[in-house]
Amino acid sequence: MSGYKNIPVEERRRLREKKYKKHNLANILTHWFNVASWLMLLPTGIAIISSPRLGLAPEWWQTLFRSMFGSTANLITFHYTVGLIWIVILGFNILLGFRRYFVPFAAHRMLLDKDDIEWLKIKPLQMLGFFKGKELPPQDAYNAGQKAYMYVVILGTLGIMSSGIVMTFKEIFPPFLKQIAQPIHWVSVFSIVAGLMVHVYMGAVFPEEKEAFFSMFSGKVSAWYARAHHEKWYYQKVLEEMEWEDKVMSETQQASEDKPLSDHPLPSM
Amino acid sequence: MAQTKRYGFVIDVARCIDCRACLVACSVENEVPMDNTRIWVHDLGIKGTFPDLTRSFLPYNCMHCDNPPCTEVCVSGATYKDPDHGLVLVDQDACIGCGFCVDACPYNARYLDNERGVVDKCNACVQRLDVGMSPACVATCVGGSRLFGDLNDPTSEVSIALKNARSVQRFDLEYKEGVFTGPNIYYINGDVLQSGMGPRMPQYTLAEQGWKKALVPLMAAAVGGAFMVQATYFTKQLIEGEKEFDE
Repeated sequence: MSGYKNIPVEERRRLREKKYKKHNLANILTHWFNVASWLMLLPTGIAIISSPRLGLAPEWWQTLFRSMFGSTANLITFHYTVGLIWIVILGFNILLGFRRYFVPFAAHRMLLDKDDIEWLKIKPLQMLGFFKGKELPPQDAYNAGQKAYMYVVILGTLGIMSSGIVMTFKEIFPPFLKQIAQPIHWVSVFSIVAGLMVHVYMGAVFPEEKEAFFSMFSGKVSAWYARAHHEKWYYQKVLEEMEWEDKVMSETQQASEDKPLSDHPLPSM
Repeated sequence: MAQTKRYGFVIDVARCIDCRACLVACSVENEVPMDNTRIWVHDLGIKGTFPDLTRSFLPYNCMHCDNPPCTEVCVSGATYKDPDHGLVLVDQDACIGCGFCVDACPYNARYLDNERGVVDKCNACVQRLDVGMSPACVATCVGGSRLFGDLNDPTSEVSIALKNARSVQRFDLEYKEGVFTGPNIYYINGDVLQSGMGPRMPQYTLAEQGWKKALVPLMAAAVGGAFMVQATYFTKQLIEGEKEFDE
């Protein structure tokens, strides 16, 4: 179905020059704010977990961070302070852009359709080396893998935030909640981390997805990249362009019917 | 662990008269909430047949074990065994009061302070030890039942009391294969072991157990799996080199 591999070189060059906007500034800033927060929270969070029964963090790591911050209490204070800032700013961004960005995003970019289900069936098998010849179904602005991970991230983020708040405001919550909050916090973090490994590799290292990395700064991807990886989204963009052209055309026509042709400046082609 | 000191209590059971001055002194010194206490005096009951009766009491607090089960379950290391003198302490600024350690302590020596959301227990008045005083309970003990000091120092009050004791008992408990709690309260001159006041096995809460037994292997598999996939592709990329994908 997606015959992008057969597109001649000339056309590829033209498509590479053409850019489509994929991420708006709000998305980009929120993304990098999230990255900065995670870079501060993940190492300190791992360093806090010192129970030998769980055996999760190496001892030198615990000692390193405890020495850096002076004490366990300081380390924890740093962790939840950054965490609270993260919650407030992320929550603020979502509330601020709720109607303009969040609702359209949730309605058009997140939902899994039939092609996505098909993709989820084929792709893991292809990664294991089966069905190499089989074409993947065309994908939307985000592919099915990204969409599936998005649900993990959203649920995980909610889990991290709620359990983090329970543990931070220790005077308010009963011991029972504080007990279950700890494994919930940890599981939420590491289900995101599991996907994060693939996310970072695909986004920053994997050669075919290079454009995705730069799009997280510029917000733009080339039409070629869109055609190859996000075919449905690409055709939707083309359709939008055509509709826009039609609209402009009909408006010019309307204007030329109302007025004598000589008075109206036609758009130079 | 090069632990130079080994602080511990020696309690002369024969000398305790259940006056509970130690409880008051402790609560005042450490600002323990009214409905809680860090130390206890248990009644061991009346023994013997009339008219040869004896009644003894069991002063009781954190045993500052050599192998404390409570510090093992603490996720953040808020409760720890001090490497210098071996006291088991709680850093209440780091503690969130989840109570894993309260369930794990075989001696029920810890309690949850729900007002502040932290766990509290006997800290052998480290704030007093730092300035050269003895713990409040020891300083106030009228009968001289409670003694405190460095068990590693053969000239200390506790070592001498141990040496001269008629009998020495501890509430030791094997809680893991071959690992004993090694409590650092020595009860002398009286029989406390048959009292039914002994330690219980450490309990691990559902959250702690589920985390250790189910969630750790599960997430290790997930994170490990993702890492392997990523590593495989990266290795492939390094071996095959980067192809210009479009031209």
